[in-house]
Amino acid sequence: MNRRMLTKEDEVAVGADEVEVRREDQDKINKFSRLHQREIALEDQVKSKQKEKEDLDDVSNELELADEDDMIQYKIGDSFISLPLTEVQELLSTNTEKIVEETSAVEEKLNTIREEMSQLKVQLYARFGRSINLET
Amino acid sequence: MAETVAKKDAAATNPRGIPVAPFVDRVEDYVTSRTDVEKTLKNFQEMTEKYQFMEQNMQRRIAGLNDKMPDIQKTLDTVLFLKTRNLGSDPIEATFELNDTLYAKAHVLPTEEVYLWLGANVMLSYPIDGAEELLSSKLSAAKLNKSNCEEDLDFLREQITTMEVNTARVYNWDVTMKRKERQELEASEDKGKSGTPNG
Repeated sequence: MNRRMLTKEDEVAVGADEVEVRREDQDKINKFSRLHQREIALEDQVKSKQKEKEDLDDVSNELELADEDDMIQYKIGDSFISLPLTEVQELLSTNTEKIVEETSAVEEKLNTIREEMSQLKVQLYARFGRSINLET
Repeated sequence: MAETVAKKDAAATNPRGIPVAPFVDRVEDYVTSRTDVEKTLKNFQEMTEKYQFMEQNMQRRIAGLNDKMPDIQKTLDTVLFLKTRNLGSDPIEATFELNDTLYAKAHVLPTEEVYLWLGANVMLSYPIDGAEELLSSKLSAAKLNKSNCEEDLDFLREQITTMEVNTARVYNWDVTMKRKERQELEASEDKGKSGTPNG
């Protein structure tokens, strides 16, 4: 959290009479703060899911080179299990599908949040001008 | 008036009993004179700290759940995998972790029973379907728990924000009052000066 004091010029720009914080303003500020916190958490999730997706892609590419009859050590839980190539590829594709689905769900949430945040930003800046700082 | 508002706000809580922070509608309702400012700010500070303490606890709980959930998921994945093997299929060859950095091979015959480690040195055998059910319910319970924690965290964030805005407003009020007092003082001094020559 970075706090800053208003500079003298800012204070003049804000004007002598301070804008009263009404209940609805407080609710908006709260919502913005909450969404901001959510945004950070979701960004982390998207990142880790994208990483997982990339890893799965790498593995699939790697397996393109493998022999049909090869047994692949596939990790399930904590142990590696020898499975024929076709079965591994099947498992991989279901996993990839799942990850892609999850990622797009999270991204969608993130987009709604960002939209709401920018709306709130407009409203709050319109009301409080330079007395409020919503940037990070 | 301020008293009743404060009490009503203080009594309200979220579903898990965390109190709602009081909203300062008019600063004058909270601080009537500048002598009250320090006391009120200290009070607000204390409340903010309480919320922050709860926030930290909640973050720790979420971190704990985040650790626990992959473990359940992994076990569930294994159970689901074993389920796909029917009695007729070949034994599977598994390389399992015997200890850190030491892996051993095992031939696993198709099975209808798995053993789940329940903790506290207890392990129980379950039919595969039973194990799946148990693990799924544990996983969904953990997910629910986590979403509750996240809700609380959101709620706490809002209360902390309210308190921060409250603090800023009382502080600003104090600054404005201080300025006004000084101006009044200067004005009266000016008057005094301009008054003497005539008197």
